[in-house]
Amino acid sequence: MALGVLPWLLLSAALFSTGLFGLLTRKHAIGLLISVELMANAVNLNLVAFGYFRGDLMGQVLALFGIALTVAEVVVGLALVIQLHRHNRSIDVDSARELAG
Amino acid sequence: MMLPLPALVLLAPLVAFAVVALYPSLRRRGPAAGLAVVTGSSVSLLAGVLMLVGQQGLDRPVAHQVWRWMPSAGQDLAQVGWLVDSTSAPMVVVVGLVALCVQIYSFGYLHDEPGPALGRYYAWHALFVVAMQTLVMAPNLMQAFIGWELVGLCSYLLIGYWWKEAYVGKAAVKAFWVNKVADGGLLLGLIVLGGATGSFEWDPTKLDPALLTAVTLLLFVGVMGKSAQVPLHVWLPDAMAGPTPVSALLHAATMVAAGVFLVVRAWPLFEGAETTLTIMCWFGGVTAFAAACFALVEDDVKKMLAFSTCSQLGYMVAALGSGALVAGYFHLTTHAMFKALLFLGAGSLIHAVGTNAMSEMGGLRKQMPGTFVLFTIGCLALAGIPPLAGFFSKDLVLEGLLHGGQFGPLALCLVGVVLTAVYSGRAVVKIFFGELRSPDAHPHESPPSMMGPMLLLGAATIIVGFLGAQFSGLVNGTPDGAFHVAPVGVAGLVLALVGLAIGKWLADGGSVAQLEGLGEYIFSSPLDRFYETVWRRVLLVGAAWLAWVDRYVVDGLMNLVGWGSMVAAERARKLQTGLVTDYVAAVVVGVLVVALYTASGI
Amino acid sequence: MIAFFVTAAALLVTAVMVVTSKDLVRAVLWLGLSLVVTAGAYAQLAADMLAAIQIMLYAGGVVTLMLFAVMLTPRPDDERPTVALVNPERGFAAALLMFFALAMALLQAELPGGTAVAVSDSQEVGRLFLTDHLLAFEALSVLLLAAMIAAIVIARRRDA
Repeated sequence: MALGVLPWLLLSAALFSTGLFGLLTRKHAIGLLISVELMANAVNLNLVAFGYFRGDLMGQVLALFGIALTVAEVVVGLALVIQLHRHNRSIDVDSARELAG
Repeated sequence: MMLPLPALVLLAPLVAFAVVALYPSLRRRGPAAGLAVVTGSSVSLLAGVLMLVGQQGLDRPVAHQVWRWMPSAGQDLAQVGWLVDSTSAPMVVVVGLVALCVQIYSFGYLHDEPGPALGRYYAWHALFVVAMQTLVMAPNLMQAFIGWELVGLCSYLLIGYWWKEAYVGKAAVKAFWVNKVADGGLLLGLIVLGGATGSFEWDPTKLDPALLTAVTLLLFVGVMGKSAQVPLHVWLPDAMAGPTPVSALLHAATMVAAGVFLVVRAWPLFEGAETTLTIMCWFGGVTAFAAACFALVEDDVKKMLAFSTCSQLGYMVAALGSGALVAGYFHLTTHAMFKALLFLGAGSLIHAVGTNAMSEMGGLRKQMPGTFVLFTIGCLALAGIPPLAGFFSKDLVLEGLLHGGQFGPLALCLVGVVLTAVYSGRAVVKIFFGELRSPDAHPHESPPSMMGPMLLLGAATIIVGFLGAQFSGLVNGTPDGAFHVAPVGVAGLVLALVGLAIGKWLADGGSVAQLEGLGEYIFSSPLDRFYETVWRRVLLVGAAWLAWVDRYVVDGLMNLVGWGSMVAAERARKLQTGLVTDYVAAVVVGVLVVALYTASGI
Repeated sequence: MIAFFVTAAALLVTAVMVVTSKDLVRAVLWLGLSLVVTAGAYAQLAADMLAAIQIMLYAGGVVTLMLFAVMLTPRPDDERPTVALVNPERGFAAALLMFFALAMALLQAELPGGTAVAVSDSQEVGRLFLTDHLLAFEALSVLLLAAMIAAIVIARRRDA
């Protein structure tokens, strides 16, 4: 813990980037969602780290908010995935291309 | 009077025009429309006469502004209204009188025309009166220009009355176009004047000499077109394709006189422009001489009278060019009377005999006595024989030329006097004496509707000549228009008598070899061919080129914009792939950009 | 010190496994592991309650939901869905770029002091929620309700 905040922040940045990689390389709907999860997780870590080194609890509060929001988002997202599957018989996200120009 | 008289002069025919134009049921009944128009013209004439006789505005000009047309800081650019003074009042009466005579005459002359066409004819007549009076009473050059253009339009419309004949349409277009070319000069003059003085007043603030010369020369170009001076006279003979009453009104008495009237009106401008005046004088002299030559070899009575008009206009212009304002204006007035009379007489002849060609007329003295007397009066006036009006005015013109020191034009005009008398005398003898040559074996005298106006004009021809002094007093304030015996006048008279004798001799069968050659040269109309070449090679080519530019460059630019936007839209459309992964990638890219931007900022 | 490095290593490994697994179920499970390790990180950063919640909600709830979804959406031919990677070069480049951007920003920023300061206080967190951040808390509740309803509405069967 004598490291200071920077290592935690860099770690969080690395996790975020990894999630980004996943977001760009997945075609599967749930694949996309788990990448987003990773990114959200990284953000929460960031918040908590900041909070710890600032000495107040705002970090935790915000992180808690973040968790709640992410959960809500995942719930709705999964519902959509189920509908997508029902419609197109596949959860390849690229199969829903009715809005193609 | 609730309405001021000048307003009545303008409004009466305008109302007649509106009524005939807006009510097809009235218009289609031709004579009924004619009645409406004649009523309007009568009221207008009455108002004009009252104006003149009642001395309204003659001592002090009455300038009334109806509408500030182009207001601007300082002095207005142009206003709409009327200016009644000693210059415009007589002309108002002249125009009104001849117009009324012609319109009444038309009842007889055109009585077997179809109703709707006649209605149109009368509508244009009414419009013409309005336009002409607007020009005459214009308080500034801009309004005069409006009237000028409008009368040009009426000329086109009226010449083209029988437009179903090909040559009629061409004649109308030719008249319009030649005038348009001249009007270009007029417009330029207007612009230069307006630019130099900030307004278009008849009596502007002092212009420096070069500018004055430029303006007056440009205005004279317009005059050349409208008043048929050589070389822009070519439209006048062709304009005879219109009905004879139209020729009488527009192309003898009033419209062609508008150019002369313009110079009279703008005399404060012209007075100081010596160069222009000299040029004008020469043009007038040449026209007087050349047109008389042309008249000499014409067999068509109307064309002869047209060239005669051209020649007499040359006299007027020459008089003005030598500084004799009164002479020019007076000759305008007398000429209006007797030339209109001559044209109406010619119409009477044509109506009776069915042809324009004098060689097919002859010996009509017995069958058409009234026409004979009146036509002869007109011809004698034209030749300048006392006591008819033409003598007095021509005398003034010659004197003016002499006093102005313009000897060249004077010589031309004197020769012109001979020629004028020659063709006048020849006409009278050929038409009325000798054997009956007409195809229609029983020519008859014309109906009262035609004879009446002719009588009126005949009386005017006799009377107006003696009004020279009053006229001069009116216009100039001095009675130097009063007649007095002068050498040049006597010379003119002698020449005229000589001419008449020659004319009789020609008509009786004498012919001169030179005349034949001249006739052939004239009929080949080199000037016309020159103009036509210019028209075809230059103007139409230029117009076609411009049309190409318009279609492919201007329109092309527009089409390019349209095409470009459609292509761009197509391309942009391809961005919407409908694939979620692509959209995700797009979002990520956006975020990256923002992140990088923010990071570099810090 | 050591704790940090162990946590960091674990996090990175699991994250990479999440995004590179071809087998979807495996990927989800790796995600769960990653979330648990994060909880450990929270514990190190004096956020005990948060750690507990993380395990309950995330590792427990979310992962379970994901697995459910995976099972409910079978592909007609496959038993276990596979998730191939598309355009890995593009993704790698983007990820690298993002990391550098973030790192640059972080390295230049003014960061709070070096020594660890905070103490875990769950009670305080709860109190904060119900006093200073009451509005946000209530809004969050509404949001969760909405999300629930939305999910039910979206995912129900439409046939009559």
